[in-house]
Amino acid sequence: MPTAIVATGLSKTYDVKVRDPGIRGALAALARPRYRQVRAVDDVSFAIERGDAVAFLGPNGAGKTTTLKMLTGLLFPSSGRAQVAGCDPWTGGNAFRQRIAFVLGNKQQLLWDLPPEETFRLNRAIYGVSAADYTTRRAELVELLVLGDLIDKPARQLSLGERMKCELAAALLHQPEVLFLDEPTLGLDLEAQQTIRTFLGEYRRRHGATILLTSHYMADVTALASRVLIINRGRLLYDGELSELVARIAPIKRIELVLSETVSRARLEEYGTVAHYAPPRATLEVPRELATAASTRLLTDLEVADLSIQDPPIEEVIRIAFGETEHDVLAEPEPVARTDVRRAPP
Amino acid sequence: MSRVATRSAFATFRDQYAELMRSAFLIDLQYRASIAIWLLWGITEPIISLGIWWSIAAGGAVDGYTREDFARYFFGVALVNQATLSWDAWNIDRWIREGEMNFRLTRPIAPIHEAIADNIAYKAPTAVIILTAWIGAATFWPAVRIPFEPGRWALAIIAIVLAAAIRFLNGYATGLLAFWTTRATALVELQFGLSLFLSGRIAPLSLLPPQVVRAAEYLWFPYVLSFPVEVLTGTVTTGGQYARGFGGQAIWLAIWLLLYLLVWTRGRRRYGAVGG
Amino acid sequence: MTGIRRAMIVLRAFWQLNWLEELQYRGNFIASLLGTVFWLLMAMLTVALYFRHTPRLGGWEYWDVVVLLGIFNALAGVVETVLRPGIGHLPTDVRSGALDLVLVRPVDAQFYVSFRRLDVWRLADVVLGLALSGYAFAQSGRTVSAWALIAFAVTFAVAIAVVYAIWVTLMSLAFWFVAVENMSALFDAVFEAARYPVSAYPGALRFLFVYLIPIAWTTTIPASALTGRLNPSLALWAMGVGIVALGASRLLWRVALKRYTSAGG
Repeated sequence: MPTAIVATGLSKTYDVKVRDPGIRGALAALARPRYRQVRAVDDVSFAIERGDAVAFLGPNGAGKTTTLKMLTGLLFPSSGRAQVAGCDPWTGGNAFRQRIAFVLGNKQQLLWDLPPEETFRLNRAIYGVSAADYTTRRAELVELLVLGDLIDKPARQLSLGERMKCELAAALLHQPEVLFLDEPTLGLDLEAQQTIRTFLGEYRRRHGATILLTSHYMADVTALASRVLIINRGRLLYDGELSELVARIAPIKRIELVLSETVSRARLEEYGTVAHYAPPRATLEVPRELATAASTRLLTDLEVADLSIQDPPIEEVIRIAFGETEHDVLAEPEPVARTDVRRAPP
Repeated sequence: MSRVATRSAFATFRDQYAELMRSAFLIDLQYRASIAIWLLWGITEPIISLGIWWSIAAGGAVDGYTREDFARYFFGVALVNQATLSWDAWNIDRWIREGEMNFRLTRPIAPIHEAIADNIAYKAPTAVIILTAWIGAATFWPAVRIPFEPGRWALAIIAIVLAAAIRFLNGYATGLLAFWTTRATALVELQFGLSLFLSGRIAPLSLLPPQVVRAAEYLWFPYVLSFPVEVLTGTVTTGGQYARGFGGQAIWLAIWLLLYLLVWTRGRRRYGAVGG
Repeated sequence: MTGIRRAMIVLRAFWQLNWLEELQYRGNFIASLLGTVFWLLMAMLTVALYFRHTPRLGGWEYWDVVVLLGIFNALAGVVETVLRPGIGHLPTDVRSGALDLVLVRPVDAQFYVSFRRLDVWRLADVVLGLALSGYAFAQSGRTVSAWALIAFAVTFAVAIAVVYAIWVTLMSLAFWFVAVENMSALFDAVFEAARYPVSAYPGALRFLFVYLIPIAWTTTIPASALTGRLNPSLALWAMGVGIVALGASRLLWRVALKRYTSAGG
């Protein structure tokens, strides 16, 4: 199968001004500007086949969005190359943009004051979709995403989940070869998240689109993509099947408890490893396959006000699997000599 | 593989513009109450200027301008001003700061086209409203009447369209400086302040000190307001004046088009280097 | 007088808070100061242009017109410092629901909304404007009298009150016309007329600005007081107008608020 996305040694380094606080610092910064380098993306390479779905996982500030912006032509790399849908994202021009779609989870593209239907019409014209194609694709998207009469209400009246579904529909009318999604399920309720994950899976099955999404929800990955790229501090830590990763880390689930009675930490230790203990709240870690059984026992034996079973957050996974924490992201990197890291495009 | 419709670039362009203008128009329709207030705000400046000059000219003509001349002039200013407003710098600034520039840069159409369509969708109807109000006023106020001269009116329309294009590119290009600085909108305001005099907004240019007028003619200001108004009101009469006026408009249109292209390519590259 | 005392305490807290917030944006101060100086310059050039073609504007001489211009700028400074960031923010707060957070506090809502946000840097506009008036007064060759100064202080305070009342009225209307975002533009539009003495306008406009939209009075009267043109009865009349304006706008505010809260917001 031909490759849809190839990244070769992608790096993005920023010069960030360093300034001491106060008036003194402000004047000093004017006279002698100091910079430190931030490596947002550091030598990232991977290849994605046509029709695959891959998830980019990592904590906030890991470099996921920056990588995506380089692949969509918004930013150009400090070094390295990329090929998306057969084009160089930076020089590919409108022909390139015709073949991709970029949906951002927290940034609106729908026309705010008008019904999503109007955004559909606009995108049809902008992407040059023929009337016949438009009718079929629109009908399919409306059906798959269960849009119904949502498309006739002004976008500002829709809930976040409804808007996201309409955003996806608007982005797919021109049937792009590659779909980039940046945190598509961010802030959505569980039902909306589920709908979107199911939809993306079905859409890919039908049309063979390549999907690259970023997320910090493990659940996005399990439902949608079998392959994950884990990125932290700008570096690619892992590129492979999710099942292998799960096998690598102790496969655990977390049980979040809110107790209505006082229970000692020692008592809770009988049910699993106590990760956090702050009565009335507590977090237990239990092996994945024992999670349900442990929960049942807890509910029977103790006075529990609330109980939920969760995946460990991605930060935990990274910490467990690779021995790194996301706090390292915020630490000052080694001071480097200031070099011009901005390179003009080829 | 998607079936990309094979059609001429012109047809695609035409469709894109049609839809962009349609969306902009529908949105404006929703904000019609606010727009009415903006319209009112837009005409107060020429009305106040007219009021002052009307008083000053009570005792006779001022440098060849009678009260009626002033009335016609400032009604013309109100109309041409409405057609040449420039707000894009504020949009660009906001989009860059709030990340809304990103999706505009990943669409197969340059962001300027959305702005052009937005401008046309807003200015065409509102200019017609001002024109209607002018016609209405002319029915009972002889001072603001303009003789019926279709040829002159056609030339005035051309001059107004050119003026709108110049001012649009000027505002848009200056607004693109937001790729480098947070004070791009301040620069636009500075230009607007200067244009109060140099465009003939406060008074017909001939009433300004001659050195100021000469300086103004080296810049684009007279060509975005004073010239189209004077074509409309009949102050421009000779072939030489027409030639200088339209010639100046053509030159400045080319200059600002080039400046836009320059700032756009440089700015786009900078955005790609350092992000928002 | 615990009500007034409490109000003073809250006011002081607002003031300090806004100072702290604004202190982070010293760059903005320079920028806005430059902007004000620039526009003041443009305004003076405009007046100079008028006087190039006439010896008097509505019977006022050049320096007297500049005195009025300074007062206009000072009043505009009050608008930018207190009114626009304060009560001018009301439509946004209504739409976003932030107003509800204000209504649960044990402070009068109108007071809170009016003074919570201040753009303290714009006080420079007020200082600049008054300084310009002072300079122009000196240039005009008039002698200052205690009566004139007192009359000026009183009428300037009345002008502020009237402008405030107009803003409260406009913003109260925002409760009915929630979709309109630029209510304050209505004020800006009409306030432009206050740049020049009322007598500078021709008959029809003068009627409009004196009786229908009496905005020009906010600058003409204090300027008249300072330049000794004001007859005392007019001063008393102005004070009465100020009190009535404050009272009427307060009434409208309470009606609007009652409608808002009873409608469920």
